[in-house]
Amino acid sequence: MKNRLPKFLHGIRGKLIAIFVLIKVVPLVLLAWFAWYTAQGLGDAVSQKAADMADTSLQTIQDIGKTVTEDSIKALDERSRDAIETLTTDAARNIARFLYARDADILQAADSDLSEAAFRRFLAQRKRTLYRHGPWRLAPDTKTWEPVEAVSLEAKRTRPILPDNARDFHLRPPEYLGEPEVTPLFVEMTYIDLAGNEKIKITQGDLTDKALKNVSDRRNTFVRAENYFAELKSLKPGEIYVSDVIGAYVRTDLIGPYIPERLEKIGLPFSPEKAAYAGTENPVGKRFRGIVRWATPVVRNGQVTGYVTLALDHDHIRQFTDRLMPTAERYTPIIDAIKGNYAFIWDHKSRSISHPRDYMIVGYDPETGHPVTPWLDTELYAEWQASGKPSHEFLADIPPFRDQRLTRKPAPEQIKAGTLGLDCRYLNFSPQCDGWNALTEHGGSGSFVIFFSGLWKLTTAAAIPYYTGQYGKTPQGFGFVTIGANVDDFHKAATDTAEKINTLVGEKDRQFKAQRSDLLEGIEQSLTTTAIGLWGSTVAMVVVVIFIAIWMANLLTARITSMIDGIRAFRDGDLRRRLDDSAKDEMGELAHSFNAMADSVEESFKRLEEAREKAEQASRAKSAFLATVSHELRTPLNGILGFADLLRSDLQSPEHLEYAKIIHQSGEHLLTLVSEILDLAKIEAGEMQFQQNEVPLHGFLENALAVHRSSAEAKGLTISLHLAADLPDYLKTDATRLRQIINNLLSNAVKFTQQGSIVLGARDEKEWIAIYVRDTGPGIAREDQEVIFEKFKQLENFLTREHGGTGLGLALVRQLVTHMGGQVSVESEPGQGATFTVLMPKKAQDE
Amino acid sequence: MSEHLALIVDDHPTNRLIATTLLRKMGWQTHEADSGEAALELAARHDFRLVLLDISMPGLSGEETCERLRQQYAGRNIRIIAYTAHAFPEERASFLAVGFDDILVKPINREQLQALAQIP
Repeated sequence: MKNRLPKFLHGIRGKLIAIFVLIKVVPLVLLAWFAWYTAQGLGDAVSQKAADMADTSLQTIQDIGKTVTEDSIKALDERSRDAIETLTTDAARNIARFLYARDADILQAADSDLSEAAFRRFLAQRKRTLYRHGPWRLAPDTKTWEPVEAVSLEAKRTRPILPDNARDFHLRPPEYLGEPEVTPLFVEMTYIDLAGNEKIKITQGDLTDKALKNVSDRRNTFVRAENYFAELKSLKPGEIYVSDVIGAYVRTDLIGPYIPERLEKIGLPFSPEKAAYAGTENPVGKRFRGIVRWATPVVRNGQVTGYVTLALDHDHIRQFTDRLMPTAERYTPIIDAIKGNYAFIWDHKSRSISHPRDYMIVGYDPETGHPVTPWLDTELYAEWQASGKPSHEFLADIPPFRDQRLTRKPAPEQIKAGTLGLDCRYLNFSPQCDGWNALTEHGGSGSFVIFFSGLWKLTTAAAIPYYTGQYGKTPQGFGFVTIGANVDDFHKAATDTAEKINTLVGEKDRQFKAQRSDLLEGIEQSLTTTAIGLWGSTVAMVVVVIFIAIWMANLLTARITSMIDGIRAFRDGDLRRRLDDSAKDEMGELAHSFNAMADSVEESFKRLEEAREKAEQASRAKSAFLATVSHELRTPLNGILGFADLLRSDLQSPEHLEYAKIIHQSGEHLLTLVSEILDLAKIEAGEMQFQQNEVPLHGFLENALAVHRSSAEAKGLTISLHLAADLPDYLKTDATRLRQIINNLLSNAVKFTQQGSIVLGARDEKEWIAIYVRDTGPGIAREDQEVIFEKFKQLENFLTREHGGTGLGLALVRQLVTHMGGQVSVESEPGQGATFTVLMPKKAQDE
Repeated sequence: MSEHLALIVDDHPTNRLIATTLLRKMGWQTHEADSGEAALELAARHDFRLVLLDISMPGLSGEETCERLRQQYAGRNIRIIAYTAHAFPEERASFLAVGFDDILVKPINREQLQALAQIP
């Protein structure tokens, strides 16, 4: 397996450092990470909890605020409703009581003297205080009306408040209802005979006609609208007739504040006195003036002699509601219709008989005595127009309270005409009418809330429990009182509180958010500090640990590395190098052992070196010796052969020539011997060097043969070359030595063969090239076949010349062939010739 | 004349005599020197075309003499042949390396000499 560790970990030092780091740094980092993780978790949890807590607190406060506000509103609304309902029923009861008092009046009148004086006396005794606002005028800006003299009563206190009473001591100023004015109750008192002729008639004020008339004719009655005479005839003694509210209708030019700019807009002259009175909207307008007539039979001596009538000034009735305010003010000298806080009275037919705007009180046309058309919605108005009938005839056939709802629209034509009397039966765009009747038609009272004229209004209604005459037909009695109140005003305190609470909550919310972000920031900061401290100290500790690891590893490995350095130096040849073995531990022992080994190695090296030097010396000496021998032997041979040669060319006598030839041949022989001895010696000494040549076998063997052709043919021998067909072209070997081998074999063959033939052949034999020399010589005895290759075996016959002497030829052949990686062998039978075969390896020999 | 002028350098008179005889037979005019120093002196006075130079001589060796001759005859046509009994192949290679044109191994062989010392 390959070592896959990084390079620096290969050494003990690296491994030690790595182990140190692993043991120390990893837990350190893990610890730091764990601490950081926990701190972060804690931070997150605290942040979350804090945020949740803040949110919850805020939510709680908001919820409490909301609940308190809602409860307060509800409580206040209920309280206000109760108060206003009470106010309404009280007003209705007061009206009823007042009306019943008028029943008593009429009965008393019937018993009085039938004389003008008595009537005057009677009337003078019946007066009542009415409150009227003082003169008003158009404000300088002409956009509002204002009192000429503003009245404001102060809550006066001249004594100290006792501590026991100090809590919520609430003092109101005297109630200001207006300027008191003592006013006669009745505007007219008459005595009518049985034919309808007015016999006695006392009037007060100028509302009614002073002249005596026959009232059986409607045209002679108040605003030609009264038809009471017909009713009177059916009255039994003691029975009382009470009429509807009858008065001339007062029209208006517009609805709302009667101020110049609004009239200008509709193109009418500013004449407030001619238009209907409307409280603060038109305090100088024409007032609705009406009457309610009481009548009862006058009985004298058991006979009905006529009828006495009393006409109640309608102002006394409306006084019950005109001063009322369903607000903290309680009373007002002048009604402010715009604010929506005011009281109304409706008669038993649900017609408006008291209203802040006089043009909304139903009335009669004094010309015809018929009711002026009340305010209709667009649909009913269109129907009426389509019917072509007078309105009183048309409306007589229309069911009352028909599909009343807020989505209906008032007829604009009537606004333009200024006839806006409110007859609830046909006021179909005001569903309150239906609601009021639902509350009062069985004599009850109550309230509901309705969004009307852009305001949420509480509207109450209470039946007026007055049941005389025609008013006794239904439990509703005389009619009903309604009070409208602006709902928001009831719970103003609560909404103010709510606003305060909302402001507080908003403040708290901001505070909480600031606190929360402060807290989160604090936690974040603390976490950052923790992180810096934690990781900083971790990194510092890691660095320290690594330094310590390196230092300790160095300490531990310094001796090993110094030992390694020493061993390496020794290995690299510094054999004198020894290790410090002074330490008494294992390392010291190791060093000591090494030193001992080094000593012996050094010693061995020394001996080896000496031996090598000796051997080299010997080899050098041997080489020098061989070279010298060769040189020295060749030098004299040069003279011998040289001059023998010269003699051969110069001598004439055949005998002398023969001598010279012998000298030459002997010299040649000696030279050969010398060469062979030297070659053998050289091989022995290991001095022989072999070359590697690409030898072209065919040409090479042909040349080798050619050298011996002449000498062979001179002896009458045939000499030939037998090359196998599959012989390779080249053989890699030492050409010189191969030539020497073949020459030796061939010259032996020529030398020993007396007759016959000599063959030089070659063939492929697997990994070898076999080169052979076959002769037809005397052959070699089997026991001699090995001997002939041994050197110097023939030395004993060296000078016998029995065989011409081969000297050391075959021994040299064997040595050469062996050194060239080959083999040489001989096959022979005595007398059968001999075949010498040399196997040369095809594969080149390494040196 | 100088075109066939040969110098035989050998401390051994016999060797000089054989070489001189054979070269004369081949048509060379010859001078002899028994040392390297003598050879250089002769070479300064004559314009040799061929030098047979022994290697093992007292005084200047054959190799040194060859190198000096090459310097003396820089740019001139001269054949310097080692005339030596040093017959081992490695010795032969070293002679060729120091500037000898060819080697004539002792004992001398007429055919070999004739091949090496053909008169141009």
